[in-house]
Amino acid sequence: MSVNTWIIVAGDPAIGNLIDTARSLGGSVSVAVVGPRAVADTVAAAGVDKVVWFGEPGAVPAEAYATVVADAVAAATPGLVLAANRASDRVLLGATAARLQAPVLAAVSSITADGAGLVANCSVFGGIAEETVTVTGPLALLLEGGPVPAASTTVPVEELPATPLGITVVETKPSSFEQVDLGAAPRVVGIGRGLKTQEDLALINALADAAKAEVACSRPVAEGLDWLGKDRYIGVSGAHITPDLYFAIGISGQLQHMVGVRGAKTIVAINTDPNAPVFKEADYCLVGDLYALVPALTAALK
Amino acid sequence: MKIVVAYKWASNPQDATVGAQGTVDWSRAKPGFSEYDPVAAELARRLADATGGEVIGLTVGTKRVDATLARKAALSRGFDRAVIVADDSLEGAGSTQLAAVLAAAVRHIGDVDLVITGDSSVDVGSKMVPTVLAGQLGWPAVAEVISITGQAGALRVERAVPTGTQVLEITGPVVLAASTDAAVARVPGMKDILAAGKKPVESLDLAALDIPAAAGTTTVTGTSRPDLLTRKGQMIDASDPAAAAAELVAALRGAGAL
Amino acid sequence: MTEAAEPDFDVIVIGAGIAGAITAYQLATQGRSVVLIERGEAPGAKNLSGGVLYCRGMQEVFPDFLTEAPVERRITRNYINFLNADSSIGIDYKDTRLSDPVNAVTVLRAKLDPWLAEKCEEAGVFLMPGVRVDKVLTEDGPTGKRVVGVKAGDDELRAHVVVAADGVNSFISQEVGLRTKEPLNHLAIGVKCVVNLPRETIEARFSVTGDEGAAFAIVGDCTQGIGGGGFMYTNTESISVGVVLRLDDLTAKNKSTTDILDYFLAHPFIAPYLEGGEVVEYGCHLVAEGGLAMLGEISMDGLVVVGDAAGLTLNTGLTVRGMDLAVASGVAAAKGIGAALDSKDTSKVGLAGYREALFASYAGKDMETYAKAPAFLETERMYKEYGELIGNVLYGVFNLDNSPREHLLKVAMKAFKKSPVKIKHLIKDGLAGVRAL
Ligand SMILES: Cc1cc2nc3c(=O)[nH]c(=O)nc-3n(C[C@H](O)[C@H](O)[C@H](O)COP(=O)(O)OP(=O)(O)OC[C@H]3O[C@@H](n4cnc5c(N)ncnc54)[C@H](O)[C@@H]3O)c2cc1C
Ligand SMILES: Cc1cc2nc3c(=O)[nH]c(=O)nc-3n(C[C@H](O)[C@H](O)[C@H](O)COP(=O)(O)OP(=O)(O)OC[C@H]3O[C@@H](n4cnc5c(N)ncnc54)[C@H](O)[C@@H]3O)c2cc1C
Ligand SMILES: Nc1ncnc2c1ncn2[C@@H]1O[C@H](COP(=O)(O)O)[C@@H](O)[C@H]1O
Repeated sequence: MSVNTWIIVAGDPAIGNLIDTARSLGGSVSVAVVGPRAVADTVAAAGVDKVVWFGEPGAVPAEAYATVVADAVAAATPGLVLAANRASDRVLLGATAARLQAPVLAAVSSITADGAGLVANCSVFGGIAEETVTVTGPLALLLEGGPVPAASTTVPVEELPATPLGITVVETKPSSFEQVDLGAAPRVVGIGRGLKTQEDLALINALADAAKAEVACSRPVAEGLDWLGKDRYIGVSGAHITPDLYFAIGISGQLQHMVGVRGAKTIVAINTDPNAPVFKEADYCLVGDLYALVPALTAALK
Repeated sequence: MKIVVAYKWASNPQDATVGAQGTVDWSRAKPGFSEYDPVAAELARRLADATGGEVIGLTVGTKRVDATLARKAALSRGFDRAVIVADDSLEGAGSTQLAAVLAAAVRHIGDVDLVITGDSSVDVGSKMVPTVLAGQLGWPAVAEVISITGQAGALRVERAVPTGTQVLEITGPVVLAASTDAAVARVPGMKDILAAGKKPVESLDLAALDIPAAAGTTTVTGTSRPDLLTRKGQMIDASDPAAAAAELVAALRGAGAL
Repeated sequence: MTEAAEPDFDVIVIGAGIAGAITAYQLATQGRSVVLIERGEAPGAKNLSGGVLYCRGMQEVFPDFLTEAPVERRITRNYINFLNADSSIGIDYKDTRLSDPVNAVTVLRAKLDPWLAEKCEEAGVFLMPGVRVDKVLTEDGPTGKRVVGVKAGDDELRAHVVVAADGVNSFISQEVGLRTKEPLNHLAIGVKCVVNLPRETIEARFSVTGDEGAAFAIVGDCTQGIGGGGFMYTNTESISVGVVLRLDDLTAKNKSTTDILDYFLAHPFIAPYLEGGEVVEYGCHLVAEGGLAMLGEISMDGLVVVGDAAGLTLNTGLTVRGMDLAVASGVAAAKGIGAALDSKDTSKVGLAGYREALFASYAGKDMETYAKAPAFLETERMYKEYGELIGNVLYGVFNLDNSPREHLLKVAMKAFKKSPVKIKHLIKDGLAGVRAL
């Protein structure tokens, strides 16, 4: 059974994983692109069968195209709709799933098609369990986007005239944090709410330098405290990383955080609380104050 | 302005136990107002107070979401009233189905200008319900919302994007998902809870709502418990930091991790 | 009695544990307006008991308690066990009379407390979870300080009577000066875990059937010589297992509770019962152990104290009882408060009916009976030498090493000579034990 797939893109062409997934199901692969023409052109050269584009958005954000995209994709009666797990992409996928009355699955590790329909394996409830779900009828999936695909054969970009909903961007403010890609780092130092002040990040940076590691954090350090950029937090709603070595420092180790580092080869935990759940998932456990242990560790690494 | 806050009454999977076959036992996990939804309630209350609007709490789930405890916990969060769809047939319902019921309830409430949701629910947490809900209503959705000001039909919304923030102007009805740190929610006090006991609650009958049929069927055909890497769990005595650091570095080098 | 502002409720109950819930329930069924304030997000969230509830008192409040409430198993088998590092001596007391009428059941507070809270709400109690009372409001009255309400955060609530049902640490009764900080030897710490096991496995291992259950009381090596004991109780599909340790002894011997619990769980005589199970709950809580000595003043103008907050716990060495006493004190308090409200005198004098009702109940009587138990249990020999002594005697009897059998008395005397236990201890402790228990 082959399945015709639509991929939805809301401005970011990093959809290599989506194309691979769609191709594995054997049917045609079409892409609906919202965003500047350059994005549509990148996608059109990525080895897909069809690209539709809704025109230059100007100051209109991708979300304003939700109903337009939903209508266009639904009209093609796809068996499967994919989007990358990014805020604007989720909005377009949600609109399309609503139009199709299709279920949405997230955290999917594999998808296959058999006579009964589509069979997906997904991790559920923050990663505590896994489910195999069989779906008849159309299905929408949220996947990790993967890299920007390399160019191969190019298909023409079909332009569809569109009237977006009433949203405009009236102001943009750049972030003060530089962007990082934690996925590529072989060693990562994660810091949590055990850190008392933002200035103390200097201690963590020094350790990261000595260990040749990237700095990452738990969610509240990036959202709420705003000490690090949002792309630095690890967990179910943040980055999923698989480094050789992960230091969890002043992090309690709640399920929602640990799920993002379960693939790490070695985990070191430093926490004052001997009952912190992080110790259940660590290879090396140091019960103690990070303010004493981190400088000592930095020195030992030098 | 008529503002609906979609809140979930759910349990934290951190407190659930998973059997060897992957079946989840929730009996020890107490349900509560889903972790990030108080932020949505707080944003709604502030906006309504600034513009003279009404805030309606809306939830969908099994019968337990309509328990007295659940009602009061919700209504003490600054809602003027609540609308609840509680039906045990919704056990295990997926995001699309929940969103379809929420959308039907929003239509039932009528003349809603704005729906505010939390960032992600504590149990499912896929951030999809607000987007599918908007889709069912034919509205746009915007996530990672940091602040909301303005009037119905002329909202100014600031939201986080990977490169910083954007300020949006929105002219029609919209679903906004609050970022987790958009506001620090008040902890309900005794007076809030007392007042909650007197606020109106409308229980909607699921069967009476106009809900579109699902396109196909969704069946869970297997469950399993994830295979976690077995960790060494080696304790390193940290009473002497320098010695502990040396021991750790030696161990990491030995294991090839450094 | 003059009372300033019109109160929000007749009665404010602080703490939705067993004592608070029963007080609130009984008052609501009298038609009083009652608010039950609980700091946990949901009642029972953090509460902990070993789990054997002597349920007659509960049945007086809820006639259908056994069929309606979330009870786990009916205790028909009591097993008393002296544990040594490498031996175990047990007294197995099984009696079908214990199941008819049912006298004790196992419960899990995570299920029982929400059930009680639900019963309260049905009876008209205003349940207020997620609120921690920070202090009580007092005013100077004609007979001295009078409690008029409570404060939590910025909010105040007023009532004719406030009930402190806030558990063993009761800072409310300390704040109003009814109790002082307990000396360490009045306190013990309980650590407990719940281990999931299939129903059939439990029934096979503990030789019980249907809804029958077993309660194991264990002394000796399980606490590594620290004053206290271990317990192991069967629930429907789990085992509650833990140790209760005397705080003064624990501090003096500088041991950690988790280490002792781990040692206990891994003990060769305990581990087989739990094998293959999964720890699904873990908790640690103080236990009041002072017995009658801890029960001081239990009321003042505008306030009564019930349950653990009043020091109502009995540790007889073989059983920790607190839940049934919490029930009895709740019933007695509701009676006393009801009478006080009717007579419009909620001063200490007006509330005197509580103390009378409490001492007329099984709770007060048992507290008097066991008044000397705590001091007896402080005897160190209870936890170490006696078990070893009996162990060595029985080893002499059962160890068929082809040496000629000796007469039991001789074996005993031999073991006794090796043991640090002296005859005078035996006599002294024996007498003390008989008097105390
Ligand atoms: C739907 C949902 C999604 C979520 N997604 C994520 C996610 O993707 N990523 C994520 O991280 N979280 C996520 N969370 C939040 C998560 O549940 C936890 O709340 C969060 O991870 C806790 O962060 P923390 O460990 O830094 O803080 P805390 O839990 O407050 O822990 C701080 C720790 O520091 C220790 N400590 C304090 N002082 C010191 C010291 N001097 N030295 C050493 N240790 C010290 C303390 O003992 C404590 O264990 C999510 C939650 C929900 C509901
Ligand atoms: C390990 C262990 C084993 C035990 N085994 C047994 C046994 O087998 N059988 C038995 O009968 N007894 C046993 N007990 C004793 C029994 O658990 C207690 O006696 C009983 O729980 C007392 O009930 P209570 O309602 O007085 O207090 P609690 O159950 O402690 O309830 C107090 C309540 O007050 C709330 N609270 C406290 N402060 C505030 C505040 N400021 N504001 C709002 N709420 C507040 C708490 O959250 C709690 O819900 C055991 C105890 C332990 C620790
Ligand atoms: N059953 C529900 N009832 C009401 N609101 C919900 C429900 N499920 C999810 N939501 C809302 O949608 C947000 C995101 O949920 P989720 O998509 O499950 O991560 C939550 O924070 C809630 O605001």
